[in-house]
Amino acid sequence: MPYRLAELDISIRHQRTLHEAELVHSARKAGVRAPRLYYIDAPRTTLVMEYVEGQRLKEFVSSAPEEEAGKLFRALGRDVARLHSAGITHGDLTTANVIIRDSELVFIDFGLSNHSSRLEDHAVDLRLIKETLVGAHPSISSMALERLFEGYSREAGAKRTKAVTRQLKSIERRGRYARLS
Amino acid sequence: MKQYVLGVESTAHTFSVSVVSTEGEILSNAKSVYKAAAGSGIHPFEASQSHLKAAGKVLGEAVEESGIALHQLEAVCYSMGPGLGPCLRVGAVVARTLASTLDKPLVPVNHAVGHIELGCLLTGAKDPVVLLVSGGHTMVIAYSGGRWRVLGETLDLTLGQLLDQFGRHSGLSSPCGAAIETAASNSSIYHRLPYSVKGNDVSFSGLLTAAKNMTDSGESFESVSFSIQETAFAMVVEVTERALAFTGKHEVLVVGGVAANAKLSDMMTKMAARHSASVSLTPIVYSGDCGAQIAWTGLLAHSRGVQVPVREASVRQSWRLDSVDIPWRN
Repeated sequence: MPYRLAELDISIRHQRTLHEAELVHSARKAGVRAPRLYYIDAPRTTLVMEYVEGQRLKEFVSSAPEEEAGKLFRALGRDVARLHSAGITHGDLTTANVIIRDSELVFIDFGLSNHSSRLEDHAVDLRLIKETLVGAHPSISSMALERLFEGYSREAGAKRTKAVTRQLKSIERRGRYARLS
Repeated sequence: MKQYVLGVESTAHTFSVSVVSTEGEILSNAKSVYKAAAGSGIHPFEASQSHLKAAGKVLGEAVEESGIALHQLEAVCYSMGPGLGPCLRVGAVVARTLASTLDKPLVPVNHAVGHIELGCLLTGAKDPVVLLVSGGHTMVIAYSGGRWRVLGETLDLTLGQLLDQFGRHSGLSSPCGAAIETAASNSSIYHRLPYSVKGNDVSFSGLLTAAKNMTDSGESFESVSFSIQETAFAMVVEVTERALAFTGKHEVLVVGGVAANAKLSDMMTKMAARHSASVSLTPIVYSGDCGAQIAWTGLLAHSRGVQVPVREASVRQSWRLDSVDIPWRN
């Protein structure tokens, strides 16, 4: 039983299903690995996709040696920058939505994705990764963030990275009771 | 041997004093709540004056009802922050005075951590995903590696602010949650409002503007109240669901003033059932701000040697809960 009002629930699921179908395809075109889409059943808000065999980044990094984890976060930064350069925001970038297949990253769960080239939207994407790393992977978060931004910068360029980092800080400052310089 | 501590809460509209024991008994929880004028919010200075006037009486009641003499206390605890400066200072003055007069340790407590730890005590929740919803906070939180970590939060208004600002726009006075809940229960007309979930975060500012515009253009207060609850609560339940799935935990705990809302708990229960997770709701008496949350958390902190010299016992208006070490959960 949905917890949302039926009318609201249907409209949200419908919208997200269509977004996911469209954006998972756009992501692949942008050179980022994502599952192949086989079939869309819009009335039933159902997508049939390729099954991605592998371990989620979330579990992988909790056991991986630091150097290997660092490489993956650099690759994560590069791929996120590729999405952003193609005008795509993922919208749900947690370590549970990235699968490691043959030592490469595969992005899943594009339900909250959008077409956007706005700095703010790109920064929101990065903020979620940061929130997840600090909240759920506190012991490696500072290393992971450093690698992530290295990878991002190499792909998107120093100028864009600086701008998006500044925007990220400004979003964090809006947080409740935040004390940031 | 059973020990006792006293806790003083004064972050916002509530001044409250409580005595609790090491066995988790709440022996007293006296309070005085400042009520703002209709249509307006908490005026920090006026609230602090209200707290000053009430402090002696509330303290006397809390001590008398507990049956514990002041010299039997192990420590004095106070809400150091986050909150409104003038209000926090009243509680700090009372606590510093007691601690130095009685020559007892003074224990600083983070108000938000207080909500969570008291919720755990009262419901028996062990390792929950916590939704903290009040006038000051809207956060999804879970414990990991020595701290309560924020997994998602509002990017602008809190849920309590959304309800209060909408209510005040219609002439109510803060806190407006209960009046909105009642009004909502008298309608089932749903108006579409902006539903803004960004990953694990939520945003309410567009929703507030749209809701105000709706009542201004003649939609009934009841139907807009219904629509706000359906939309905003679905958003916070969704981000709680995301955190539950992400962390793989099996308990949800709802704390803070908005935890008193039956519609929210109903939606949370439906969500949790799909994940075979349990939902713990803080009893209404203790869901809002109270001394017990400070006393109990202070007791836990005191057991691990947390204290602050009276001279350095200031207040911190901005003090995020994810910056507080939680040694008692290791």
